[in-house]
Amino acid sequence: MMQFYARFAVRTFTHSKLRTWLTMLGIFIGIAAIVSLISLGQGLKTAIGAQFSALGTDRIIVQAKSLNFGPPGQGTVATLTEKDMEEIERVAGVGEVAARLLKTAKAEFNDRTQFTFIGSIPETQEGRRLIADMFRLRTDKGRLLTSGDRKKVVVGSNYADKDIFGKPVDVGARLILNGESFEVVGVMAKLGQPQIDGSILMPEDAMRELYGLDDEVSAIVVQSQKGVEPSVVSERILKKLRTFRDVKEGREDFTVQTSGELLATLGTILDIVTAVLAGIAGISLIVGGIGIMNTMYTSVLERTNDIGLMKAVGAQNKDILMLFLMESGLLGLVGGAIGIVIGVLLGKGVEIIATFALGTALVQASFPWYLIIGALVFSFVVGSLAGTLPAIQASHLSPVDALRRA
Amino acid sequence: MFELALHAVRGIRHRQLRSWLTMLGIFVGIAAVVALISLSEGLKVSIQEQFEKIGGDKIFIQPKGTFGGFESDAAQLTVSDKDELARVSGVDETTTYVLEVGLLSSEDENLPVYISGVPDNAKERALVIEIGTWEIEQGKWFEKGNHDKIVIGNDFFRTEILDKKVNVGDIVDVNGQKFTVSGVLKRIGDPSTDGGIFMDEDALRSLLGLTAEETNFIGVRVEKGADMAVVQERLKKELRKLHNVEKGQEDFEVQSPEDLLAVFNSIFGIIQVVLVGIAAISLLVGAVGIMNTMYTSVLERTNEIGVMKAVGARNGDILTLFIIESGVLGFVGGIIGILLGSGMSKLVEIVAGQVFGSPLIRAVFPLSLIVGALIFATLIGILSGVLPAYQAARLQPVEALRYE
Repeated sequence: MMQFYARFAVRTFTHSKLRTWLTMLGIFIGIAAIVSLISLGQGLKTAIGAQFSALGTDRIIVQAKSLNFGPPGQGTVATLTEKDMEEIERVAGVGEVAARLLKTAKAEFNDRTQFTFIGSIPETQEGRRLIADMFRLRTDKGRLLTSGDRKKVVVGSNYADKDIFGKPVDVGARLILNGESFEVVGVMAKLGQPQIDGSILMPEDAMRELYGLDDEVSAIVVQSQKGVEPSVVSERILKKLRTFRDVKEGREDFTVQTSGELLATLGTILDIVTAVLAGIAGISLIVGGIGIMNTMYTSVLERTNDIGLMKAVGAQNKDILMLFLMESGLLGLVGGAIGIVIGVLLGKGVEIIATFALGTALVQASFPWYLIIGALVFSFVVGSLAGTLPAIQASHLSPVDALRRA
Repeated sequence: MFELALHAVRGIRHRQLRSWLTMLGIFVGIAAVVALISLSEGLKVSIQEQFEKIGGDKIFIQPKGTFGGFESDAAQLTVSDKDELARVSGVDETTTYVLEVGLLSSEDENLPVYISGVPDNAKERALVIEIGTWEIEQGKWFEKGNHDKIVIGNDFFRTEILDKKVNVGDIVDVNGQKFTVSGVLKRIGDPSTDGGIFMDEDALRSLLGLTAEETNFIGVRVEKGADMAVVQERLKKELRKLHNVEKGQEDFEVQSPEDLLAVFNSIFGIIQVVLVGIAAISLLVGAVGIMNTMYTSVLERTNEIGVMKAVGARNGDILTLFIIESGVLGFVGGIIGILLGSGMSKLVEIVAGQVFGSPLIRAVFPLSLIVGALIFATLIGILSGVLPAYQAARLQPVEALRYE
């Protein structure tokens, strides 16, 4: 029986080809827009997730409470110090601990001046490894900083470009930072993260000297020990620092976050943006659904005679209903399938263009199975819903009237 | 022509349901586009008004390498810069503006907040207040030189950010020191003002241990009748000399409110284009719907077309007839869509105003939006009718008459 419905529906499509195509066109434009938007949103989330999982969800970041979402150490109320670090080292479950300093600097090269971020690299072997792992630091040319480096820096990949100073900064070049001269020993590989690609790395001691810093730190990075839940360690650090800094619960002047929590926050923001965009694009699906409804009404009108005939030879109301529902559902489904193909191509197209034009690895189109299946089911539902009213009207026609209609 | 239009309207009325559904497609799309544009334009206008309140005779100077409004480690402005700049020709007066972050505390809440310093000098004080567009809603500004009183942003007064709402006369704790609230500012929709606190500049310096020399920004009032661009250039030149830097290597930025507004508008413009562009996809789908309806309409009236041609209608007449029909579909769809879209954005404005108390979100309907949307909707109707109308016009009278 199902097969019969389907065959009947397909026959009407081939009968009024142009109308069928135009109707489906409405659906697949909408589906293509939604699929490409969601795939890019999901892709971005996956790409960010991949970066995070490389740094591991066992990292904990301690920062002074700040007002803005800017880089750590900026706009903070009370600074963290090395004493806080020592406290954290004594917390059970804490593995490696490293300090991060982050400052802005005036950089001069090739007779041009720029303002840039400088980040510190710890003096200890373990600390350096922790930071290098966390930010996935690697060099394109030269080397990373090692112990014994004094007036040496490593520059982010952006400096290899001539845009910043009019000519590329290469290994061996000398940069003037806040009036003091530093030798470039390495140029980093592109990471796709603007904060790191555009910054300069300097040994921690050299940085303290340059800025006259005593024991202040911008952020403290903690690796929790294997087998211990990072959130438990994070909770312990929170308690320990509360006692040490003598603040009541809820009145902390610092924040303790695991990398997993950071990732979750970022994911939520991305989800909201994707949902808003896909929602606006979804309006076009409503319009497409109205198009299906219109086509189905026309189809019912044109086939009033057929319906009368079918009823006369014994078709029941529900048979007619099914017939038309099947037809509109198929319109939606086929429109959706074509829409998905176009949406996938669009998403991939944007990915390729972005990768070439912007050189970022963050714009990726991802097509999880639930997106494909979901879009198909959704387009089928839109088609069926749009067909419901016309189908009910068709099924309620009285056979005599329907036959009599010219 | 009139007769053709009448005929088209009759055609539309004849197939009421289909015409309504076709127009529904258009007005959903137009409504979405109109609502989005009117809300984003409204936001733009609100922001613009904020800037206009500052006045066109002001110039801001900030160090380069400032990120998110905070002091840069690399470059700094000083109080003596401010004094020197006051002597630049065309400058009426200059002021320091110290903006820092402090910790506002209550029983069990510790909140980082922006603290703005208000200078002692009456003229400077007036200039800073004008630039910040700070207006008192309750109470009053603290007297000059009073180091124990502060003015608070509206958020603390209106909502329970702290344990409870803060009122004039209450005592609050900032970085461990007690201050009495002397006044509450009006809400302006800028988080750093609505969620900030304001105290005497010297009190702020001693509270946070700042030197007497540093300032985050310098505000400038230009003399009446002076050319803004010229004064801006002079200020740059003078500061270059003071900071001993060459042209092109400035460690500071000199900006007028217009410059800042232009930056905002260019960023906001991109967001607007993306949102409206995505919403416009539904208009495309609506256009396909009109085309579909028109093809069906041509098909149904093949016989009629044959008769008209037999009694002397030319191809051009038939073409016009169908194009008018599809144009009317677009036009009426557009009118309803504009009404619906305006209603939606007004509703958003009311909800945002009542529920969130946001003064920035409002719907504006410039004439260009209404007329533009209407023309656009009609154009969509006409364009999507062209192909079907062309097909109708080229029908052979004999075959059209024979068509069953």
